[in-house]
Amino acid sequence: MTPVKLVFKNISRRKGRLVFTLLGITIGIASFVTFMAMGGNLKREIHRETAALGANLLVIPKGSCGYEQLSILTGDQMPTNISAEEIASIRAIKGLTVVPFLAQQTAINNKPVTVSGVEPAATLAFKRWNVSQGAYFSSAEESGAVLGAVAARQFNLKPGEAITVRGEKLKVLGILEETGGRDDATLFLALPVAQRLFKSSDKVSYAAIRTEKLDQTEGYIEQIRVATGLGVVSDKQMLKSVLGIVGTVNITLQLIAAVAVLAAAFGIVNTMMAAAYERKREIGILQALGASQRMIFGLFILESGIYGVIGGVSGVITGLLAASAAAPYITQNAFTTLVKGSGNGSLLDPKIIAASILFSTVIAILAGIYPAWRAARLTPVEAISYE
Amino acid sequence: MNNIIRTEHAAKSYTIGEITTTALKDVSMEIPQGSFTCIVGPSGHGKSTLMHLIGGLDRPSEGKVYIGDIEISRIPNNDLAVLRGKRVGFVFQFFNLLQGLTAIENIEIAMMLAGIPEHKQRVRAEELLAVVGLTEKAGSKPSQLSGGQQQRVAIARALANDPDILLMDEPTGNLDSVAEAEVLDLLQELHRQGKTVVIVTHSDEVAKRAERIIRVRDGLVAH
Repeated sequence: MTPVKLVFKNISRRKGRLVFTLLGITIGIASFVTFMAMGGNLKREIHRETAALGANLLVIPKGSCGYEQLSILTGDQMPTNISAEEIASIRAIKGLTVVPFLAQQTAINNKPVTVSGVEPAATLAFKRWNVSQGAYFSSAEESGAVLGAVAARQFNLKPGEAITVRGEKLKVLGILEETGGRDDATLFLALPVAQRLFKSSDKVSYAAIRTEKLDQTEGYIEQIRVATGLGVVSDKQMLKSVLGIVGTVNITLQLIAAVAVLAAAFGIVNTMMAAAYERKREIGILQALGASQRMIFGLFILESGIYGVIGGVSGVITGLLAASAAAPYITQNAFTTLVKGSGNGSLLDPKIIAASILFSTVIAILAGIYPAWRAARLTPVEAISYE
Repeated sequence: MNNIIRTEHAAKSYTIGEITTTALKDVSMEIPQGSFTCIVGPSGHGKSTLMHLIGGLDRPSEGKVYIGDIEISRIPNNDLAVLRGKRVGFVFQFFNLLQGLTAIENIEIAMMLAGIPEHKQRVRAEELLAVVGLTEKAGSKPSQLSGGQQQRVAIARALANDPDILLMDEPTGNLDSVAEAEVLDLLQELHRQGKTVVIVTHSDEVAKRAERIIRVRDGLVAH
C-alpha cells in the first residue's frame, strides 16, 4: 500500500461524486483552454498575416482606427474611398513600391468569401505568389477570378469553371499555391473588374507599400501624409494596435474562463469537505494506526491534486476538441476570424496544454487546503468516536 | 518487572459549551511490561478514556502519562502519532477496518504509515494473516467477513509494526461466544510471546483470563 494507491481507492469508492467533481473542473479548464488556444492562435495569425502582407507601410483612409487595420488582416469589407489620384500621388514619391487593394466580401453558395481587387502584375510581384493550377490574370483588366488554395477547396472550384459574383458570371482562371495566410481564403479579381462589380469606380480600400530604405520609414510616412492627407501606418504600428485590440478581447475571454475555473475550484472544496466529513471515522482509524497530522493533510491534498490532474487532462482534451470544432464556424467576426487560420492544427500548443494541466492541479491543491486542514486538525478520539 | 505504561495523577475533563464533564479524576497506576491486564468497570465511568490516554489517542487535562520513559502527554502531535504507530497496536469493539480496503490492505496500511516499503508490507501482512488463520480471506473486503474474522484482521493489523503494547477496547464485545473464545486464545498466545496486552472490558469471561485487573469507578482507579 502507498499513499497514492490509498487515495485512488478513496476516490474510486465514490464514483458519482468523482464524475461530478471532474465534470466541474473539466468544464472550467476546457473553457480556459478553448479561450487560451483561440487567443494564442489569434496572436500567431496576426503576426503571420502581418508578415504575409509584405508591406512596411499601409495607407488607409483618413480617420481610420485599429479596427480598419484589423480588417486588412482579416479580409473584412472596408470603406473604399482612396482615389486613383491619391494612389498616383503616392507612387510619385521615389523609393516606394505601391500596391492598392479593394477589400470587399461576397457570397458563393451562400457562404461568405473575401474578395480582393488587385492590380495583377504589381500584386504578383509584391506577393511573390505561385500559380498551382490554371493561369494568372493575363492582363490588368481581365474578367475572371484567381482563387486562393483554401477558397478553391472550400467551394470545390477548378480552373475553367464559372462562379457568380454580384450577379455576373466569371470564369475561374487559376488557383494559387498555398501561402499559409489569409490570401489562401480569398477570391482575387482584377482591380477594374472589382471596382465595376462593387460600384467603386477608381477607388480602393488601402494600399500596401514596400519602402526601398527601411531606415527612412518615418520620412516616407510624412511625405505620403503631406501628398495625400491619408492615414499611414507602419507594419510595426499596425501590429501594435491590432494586438492591442486582440489583447483586450483575450483578457476578457480569459477572465470568463477564470470564473469557470474558480467555480470548479469551489466544487473541489465542496467535494473534499464532504470527504473529510464522511471519512471522519477513517481519519481517526488512520491516526490510531500512526498517521500524523501531516500525513492526513498530505493525503487530502494528494486527493485534491489528483482531481486537478485528471480534471486538467480531460479539460485540455475537451477544450482542444471544442476549439477545433468551433474554429471553422466563427468566421463572421473580425476579432475571431483569424482563429480559423488555414487548418494547420496550430491549436495544439504544448505550452498551453502543460500550463492548463499545471493550472488545474495548482487550483485543485489550493482548493484542497482548507478541507485538508479541517481533516488534519481532528483529534484521534474525536474522529474515532464519530458514528 | 518494568512498568511499560504509567500514569501520575492523570485527569481528563471535557468542556462542551458551558458544561464541564470529568471523565477521569487523579488516576495513578502502572502496567508492567509483558502483563495481561484488564481494565474493568461500569459503562461511562472512564475506562475508555483511560485507554485513550495510555494509548496516546488523547492527552490528559492534568497529570502525566508515560510509555516506557517517554512522557507522552507532552510530546508534539506528530511525534505522538509516530509513537502510536510503532509501539501501540489498537483493537476496537467495532473493528474499525477501512471498508474500501481488503483484509490484507487493512494490515498493510499500518505498515505504510510506519514507512515500511510496499514489498515488505505484503510479505509481513501475509504472515500475520496466517497467524490469525485468515490466509484465504486476504482479498476479502470487511463487508465479506464475519465479526470474528474482522476482529482477527484488526488484531493482525495491530501487530503489523510489532508493537510492545496491544490496547483493546471491548475486543469481543461484538462477537458470539465461539468467536470470543478464538480471539481470547489468540490474545493469550500473543501475551505468551511477550506482548503487553491491555483490554478494556465488561466481560467476566475476558477478565477471568487477565493476570491483573484495574477497576475504574466514577473516574477513579481501585486496584
